[in-house]
Amino acid sequence: MKNCLEELRKRRGIKQEELAEALEVSRQTIGSLENGRYNPSIILAFKLARYFETNIEDIFIYEEEEK
Amino acid sequence: MKRKAFTAIGLILGALLIAAGLIMFRLYRAADSGQVVMLAMPGVCLGIGSGLFGRNLSELISRRAMNKDPELRKRVEIEENDERNIAVTRRAKARAYDLMLGVFGALMLCFALMGVPVAAVLLLVGAYLLVTGMCVYWQIKYNEEM
Repeated sequence: MKNCLEELRKRRGIKQEELAEALEVSRQTIGSLENGRYNPSIILAFKLARYFETNIEDIFIYEEEEK
Repeated sequence: MKRKAFTAIGLILGALLIAAGLIMFRLYRAADSGQVVMLAMPGVCLGIGSGLFGRNLSELISRRAMNKDPELRKRVEIEENDERNIAVTRRAKARAYDLMLGVFGALMLCFALMGVPVAAVLLLVGAYLLVTGMCVYWQIKYNEEM
């Protein structure tokens, strides 16, 4: 799953630490999300969407895995 | 409050077990008791006592440090409840469990081939069955819950 979290965060001009603090997660979690190494739970996805005042689909792009 | 009481009880119990272990160690050495179980008792008491005491002491120290520094408390709470950290821990535990089953199996075979007393082998088999049984139990429980 791809996402545009880094882009959204940078557009807001906030650091990973600040986003992590606002969402009450670790900075490593934000880093892993941005790198696409970790897919968030639906709750964290909603929190992110609410924080950036957008929809989940606008942050995360689901791509079917190639078989 | 409840946690504080448990920590205090653990500390006291740990200290008592360490003291009891040291006393028993001196007494048994003087009496030169030949019974294996009795000879093992000081070691068992010291081991359990040290574990209890150490764990509860570290809990006490970390709680005091966090009480003094609310920022540190928040950071620790975030790290503990962080969903990625929890997922990483669960994944590691699952891997270790799979490995443990293989290690247990190999150990049972080694014990049997080494001619270790049947009681010891059966204890190990019992532990193995208990762990696998608990795995099945949690699977059924989570299947119903989720």
